[in-house]
Amino acid sequence: MPESLPQPNTDHMDSLTTTTLAALELLFSGNPELWEIIAISFRVSGVAILVASPPALLVAFILAYYQFPGRRLLISINSTLLSVPAVVVGLTLFILLSRQGPLGEWKLLFTQTAMVLGQIALAFPILVAMGHSALQACDRRAWETARTLGATPLRALITIMREARFGLMAALLAAFGRIIAEVGASMMLGGNILHYTRNIPTAIALESSKGEFAQGIALGLVLLILAFTLNAFLQHFQGKGQPA
Amino acid sequence: MTTADQFNVHYLKKHYAKRQVLDEVTFSLQAGQTHLLSGDNGAGKTTLLRILAGLEKPDSIQIDLGMGPLNWRHVKKTLQQHALYLHQHPYMFDGTVSYNLGYAIGVKLTKQERQRQIDKALEWADLKQLSQAPAKSLSGGEKQRVSLARAWLKRPSILLLDEPTSNLDQESRHRTLSLLEAFKSDGTAMLLASHDPMHFPSLIDQHLRLDQGKLIRIDDQNPIEFDQTHPNFRSTA
Ligand SMILES: Nc1ncnc2c1ncn2[C@@H]1O[C@H](COP(=O)(O)OP(=O)(O)O)[C@@H](O)[C@H]1O
Ligand SMILES: [Mg+2]
Repeated sequence: MPESLPQPNTDHMDSLTTTTLAALELLFSGNPELWEIIAISFRVSGVAILVASPPALLVAFILAYYQFPGRRLLISINSTLLSVPAVVVGLTLFILLSRQGPLGEWKLLFTQTAMVLGQIALAFPILVAMGHSALQACDRRAWETARTLGATPLRALITIMREARFGLMAALLAAFGRIIAEVGASMMLGGNILHYTRNIPTAIALESSKGEFAQGIALGLVLLILAFTLNAFLQHFQGKGQPA
Repeated sequence: MTTADQFNVHYLKKHYAKRQVLDEVTFSLQAGQTHLLSGDNGAGKTTLLRILAGLEKPDSIQIDLGMGPLNWRHVKKTLQQHALYLHQHPYMFDGTVSYNLGYAIGVKLTKQERQRQIDKALEWADLKQLSQAPAKSLSGGEKQRVSLARAWLKRPSILLLDEPTSNLDQESRHRTLSLLEAFKSDGTAMLLASHDPMHFPSLIDQHLRLDQGKLIRIDDQNPIEFDQTHPNFRSTA
């Protein structure tokens, strides 16, 4: 090849390839900082789902099974909450929890607890909306059969949740998928503190701007795999949840 | 039965919008007796049964319990303890036939005792071969048998049947009928809604007919009069 011909510029390609390889190495070599960030994400979001689910599903049940004044209003409010951006939820809690705020004495700002609170607020309307439609789709005779066979209201409630379990699982997965990947509330309420409140989305958003691309790509891959897995399960459950 | 072997219902009223579906309905059920409840479509048969099962709230009802006045909450609780309603199309819980039967058994029993009772019910309704079949996939007649066996495990004093044979073929109807005979000889009081009395020739002791919200006893063709001086109370929901 004649020396005078211009060589194709492979610098960008090279750097992307090298960074991706570095990302994979970080992931598979068990880089402690990286895995700590992943663990924090799962812990915070897992706790948020655990805390939010029982009350949210109870609200969903009441909306599906009882007629009362204000029911329609509650449903519209919940639908509105569904589309409130995460940063706005973060901002609201930030104001409440900040030192001068009404809940400032709790000293929760920039803690994992504050992040959990933010994620609960984000997960709650999703759980209510999807839980409501799952329970609404459940045959009313299920409740009546349980009751007439002598089940207490609590046992009958557990029974219809069992009957609607695929739809309810789908609600949990959708809510989990939403909160584990959201950045706005976690950033405002957690503060991206390494070893403490830095989770996957805040690490990607803030560390990448400092040139930490390998870590960002590694964490992005984790979210991608997670999204893929959650969706596979979601499809599975939603398919099963269809009335026969 | 509640106090004696008789269960009395008075002043049962229910309306939907402007329609008075049940208008001061009064009747008695007796242990071991079967009352046929007939009436045109929309006459209120299902509504009556559901109220007696405590699944629907009446405008007013009065039942004999030998205690002071009761509000609907108490009446409902009593009805739910004594009466069992069987839907026209029985609902099968997601699970096997055995699971569905087990649902009717108290949760406090040991595993062996539960299984023993389930086995008895399977035998009673000739469902042994189907014990592990998914209940939702059964035929209409088989579901009806599961639903009767499930009820049998509860031993209700009052069984409320909503058109139990209307969607069944001859063979299934026959089997349902013999299971109902078994309930009857166990001393269960039954109220059986059907628009075709001909399906239950041997079972019926008394024929009640719902017409324009009034309950008429067919043998004497007169609306049943309620004794206004009855010492019991009135419960308004
Ligand atoms: N939940 C309800 N809301 C309004 N109307 C009802 C409701 N349930 C029943 N009805 C009305 O009450 C009447 C009696 O219904 P139902 O008890 O189902 O009659 P049947 O079982 O004798 O065919 C019908 O006119 C029906 O439309
Ligand atoms: Mg009916």
